[in-house]
Amino acid sequence: MMQDRHITLAHGNGGRFMRELIDDIFARHLANPSLNVTLDAAPVGLAAGMDAVVTTDGFTVKPLEFPGGDIGALAVNGTVNDLAVSGAEPLYLTLGAIIEEGLEVATLDRIVESLATAARAARVRVVAGDTKVVPRGEGGGLYLTTTGLGQRAPQCRLGIAAIRENDAILVSGPVGDHGIAVMLARGEFDLTGSVSSDCAPVTPFTLPMASHPAVRFMRDPTRGGLATVAHEIARATLMDVQLSEQRIPVRDSVRSVCEILGYDPYYLACEGRVVAVVAPEAAEAVLAAWRELPGGADACAIGHLRNGQGRVILRTVIGGDRLLDELEDDPLPRIC
Amino acid sequence: MRASRPEPAISPAAAARDIVVTGRVQGVGFRPFVYRVARRCGLAGSVANRSGQVLIHVEGAAAAIAEFEAALLAEAPALARPELASSLAVASRGARDFTILASAGSGTADVHLPPDLFCCADCLAEMRTPSQRRYRYPFVNCTQCGPRYTIIRSLPYDRPSTSMAGFPICARCRAEYDDPCDRRFHAQPLACPDCGPTVVFSRDGREVCRGEAALRAVVDCLRSGGIVAVKGIGGYHLICDPANDAAVRRLRRRKNRPHKPLAVMFPQQGSDGLDAVREDVDLSPAEAAACRDAARPIVLARRREGSRLSPGLAPGLSELGVFLPYSPLHHLLLADFGGPLVATSGNVSGEPVLTENDAAERRLAGIADACLHHDRPIVRTADDSVLRIVCGAPQVIRSGRGLAPVEIALPVALAEPVLAVGGHMKGAVALAWDRRTVLSPHIGELDSQRSRAAFSQVIADLQAIHRIEARRILCDLHPGYASSRWAHASGLPVTAVPHHAAHASALAGEHPEVARWLTFAWDGVGLGSDGSLWGGEAFAGGAGRWRRVASLRPFHLLGGDRAAREPWRSAAALMWEAGRPWEPPIPGAALAAQAWGKRVGTLATSSAGRLFDAAAALVLGLQTVSFEGQGPMMLESMALPGCRGLDLPLAADANGILRADWAPLLAVLADESLTGAARAGIFHESLAQMAAAQAAALSRSVAFDAVGLTGGVFQNRFLSERIAALLAAKGIRVLLHRTVPANDGGLAFGQIVEYAHADRTAPGRSEARKT
Repeated sequence: MMQDRHITLAHGNGGRFMRELIDDIFARHLANPSLNVTLDAAPVGLAAGMDAVVTTDGFTVKPLEFPGGDIGALAVNGTVNDLAVSGAEPLYLTLGAIIEEGLEVATLDRIVESLATAARAARVRVVAGDTKVVPRGEGGGLYLTTTGLGQRAPQCRLGIAAIRENDAILVSGPVGDHGIAVMLARGEFDLTGSVSSDCAPVTPFTLPMASHPAVRFMRDPTRGGLATVAHEIARATLMDVQLSEQRIPVRDSVRSVCEILGYDPYYLACEGRVVAVVAPEAAEAVLAAWRELPGGADACAIGHLRNGQGRVILRTVIGGDRLLDELEDDPLPRIC
Repeated sequence: MRASRPEPAISPAAAARDIVVTGRVQGVGFRPFVYRVARRCGLAGSVANRSGQVLIHVEGAAAAIAEFEAALLAEAPALARPELASSLAVASRGARDFTILASAGSGTADVHLPPDLFCCADCLAEMRTPSQRRYRYPFVNCTQCGPRYTIIRSLPYDRPSTSMAGFPICARCRAEYDDPCDRRFHAQPLACPDCGPTVVFSRDGREVCRGEAALRAVVDCLRSGGIVAVKGIGGYHLICDPANDAAVRRLRRRKNRPHKPLAVMFPQQGSDGLDAVREDVDLSPAEAAACRDAARPIVLARRREGSRLSPGLAPGLSELGVFLPYSPLHHLLLADFGGPLVATSGNVSGEPVLTENDAAERRLAGIADACLHHDRPIVRTADDSVLRIVCGAPQVIRSGRGLAPVEIALPVALAEPVLAVGGHMKGAVALAWDRRTVLSPHIGELDSQRSRAAFSQVIADLQAIHRIEARRILCDLHPGYASSRWAHASGLPVTAVPHHAAHASALAGEHPEVARWLTFAWDGVGLGSDGSLWGGEAFAGGAGRWRRVASLRPFHLLGGDRAAREPWRSAAALMWEAGRPWEPPIPGAALAAQAWGKRVGTLATSSAGRLFDAAAALVLGLQTVSFEGQGPMMLESMALPGCRGLDLPLAADANGILRADWAPLLAVLADESLTGAARAGIFHESLAQMAAAQAAALSRSVAFDAVGLTGGVFQNRFLSERIAALLAAKGIRVLLHRTVPANDGGLAFGQIVEYAHADRTAPGRSEARKT
């Protein structure tokens, strides 16, 4: 059993300390029939006739743990959700961990345990992994990279190219929770905990829809939030994305923090939401199915596509049309 | 007015000259004027329009030609702005008579778009005379009046290239149009009840009646407290009875415009036309003159005690925006209604004014009870211009109908045509080539879809009408302005100009005779060249070579753009920065204090505008406002003159910038034992003294010929006039904006002036990052 309370460079040198780190923390939590830490590579299989879908993502977040999640859960759900919105059933993950010298072993243990729990909840297996230790000051405590492998029916036609004029835009739940939860936790605000991250797998929302011809396109609004997904759609289709401010679900707690700090919830990250573009006649059925799911009670149709010039237009509560611009690196006040 | 005087016989040619006249010579009756003067002088020859220039050939006695040339400039029609481009002696062609030749379009770019002109006395008299065929005709006009800018599709200015093209001219109008001695000779938009446009009254999207009946229906609706959308010259107005409190409240509620002032149009009465205006506001001679300016602008003037108009027109403000009618339709409506009318832009708040019948029906359905349309299309939007007298002369608050497009000559020639796209909140663009700059009218804040469309349209239109294609785009340094995004996406080379350098250069461009400036640029916020948010700065130098020499103690502002609409944020920023305990009276105050302390969502700024916001929050308890500048305007309105100011400490920072500390003001602003008027007065006086003290201190190290005041804050008359008075006492001259707005509406012009000079002083300077 590991005796150290903090990670040292020795945990990355390939010797006994490293073996103990892998055995006592990673292997212990992530044990599953496909994970064999003695192999250099893991054989995996897909169901007959299915296409393989693969994605990869790196995770850095400060603080490492926040209300509603931590970097471990994020590393699982982020990659799982990328597979899910592509119409795939997530099956396997690989995990790369870059640990900063000095990280508390107890913290690492909690995070890997959380990662394992998230993987079980998302029904994926971690089949291969790697750890490295970097000197103090050269990393943000812990960086994770996950690669996900999933399977998808070959007839799946999801994609931006499938989007048609008048299609409805749906969101599976309130937006901005993750962004505000992490921001409050980072600043150690008194309010920390009043908003929890929505970090969760979206597979329950996406799997039943993946092969439905009325469902054109799905995306998880992570970095850059809902507005950035809307821009992606607008830019690719050259249609206008018309959103209704009144119908976009935002929790009161998130809204009030946004109001004080001057943030726009439409640009804040979500980690457990889906934005879907569906044929207008299918919108109600999809919403009805979503609302039955845990976390789906606030699912809502928030807008539609119309012939236009690739703009994102928000019909405000007072009836004006505001253009939502693409996110800047560093938003500065504009009012003179 | 037919020619009655016998013309002198045309004498045999002793001399001949070709004369070229440029400037504003189209759409103002210039060719008929040339014709009449030539005949009076007994000269033969011809006059023709050629792409904005007027080409004249005259033959006759040398003395007569000299008299003719003098009269050309001295006696030009009131609305013309002729400039003599050239006059060359040529061979006589043996002309027997003086003729007006047809216009010819050509490729040169020397075109001047004429502005819309207020209804002249002759047309007004004609419209009021029952025996005349244009009696009560709302579209009467002549060469001296009527729409121009808003109906011209392309130049040269001839009826087929205006929105009157769809109205075939009747025989009687044709006779006037063809008669060189008629005041409608070549009056392109001339019209009469037989061949011209008509008014239509509609309710719920359905036509109810036309013509006289429509005018009666409007007046009935107004008398019952209704709101009517009336199509005018440059767009729709929403009109209602300004003496009817309920009607004013209803308009505010429906337009979602709780506090922003509403302008009032008064019947033209009395010898100078301003008798009715004077019943409700006091007019200084300068204000009276501004009201009578050819643009017929909205002029801000102090409300009279005992005015019977609703206090809801400009809540919390001592001034009211007043103006005279400019279209014949306005004259009819005011006369029939028998009193003044609220006339505010017919738009959804924050969007450009509506100009199309269908769009007005649709977009104003929830605001207006009825519409008065007409069928003369509006080609170009033109909002009413707004003027305020500051330091004895008018300052342009909003440049629109009658003033824009503003033409300003550059002191240096440009190597290639450039387009400046201005700022974000008060959109206006400028096109410049050679030594000419044309500044567009006010477009509005660039947040809405319709404003962005208008913005692109004005850019395309400016270039098309002048047949100039920009080769370079100038924009603000702020990458997030819609205008900057447009610039970086344009595909053309971009030069980004720091916000306050553009402000300072806009002022310098208006006063090219001044070589060395000390210019105060005070506004809300703009991105400075050091990446922080400036707004209370002073610069030494001149266009293309500004050096920041003074500023304010910086403070940390929470909440980005929201600060402009929530003055409590500015108050909190100052109080907390100065270490004074203060709890903003809003929900979430604790979070705000924490975020401020942790510098989450905060930005450092030296904005003078936010100082005024803070003062408004502390003195008036104003936590949120509904329009930009509301707090500072209310504060100025209540400020007591003659207060003693505080001496604010000045100290040079590590970079040698002379910073003023606002902190001593906080005790006064929060002192409830003083009246609000006294606190506001002390605040204004202290800032004026601070600017004067900065100028005095800097005069020891910086040589300057004049002090300039630019930026939206200096639309504050109290402040500007006190600074001017304090500096005048020290023998220092103060210059203000007179042609372009001091606010961001003047930025585009400033960007061009800054570029034109920087281009010369630093040919190899780096280009802005393209994104």
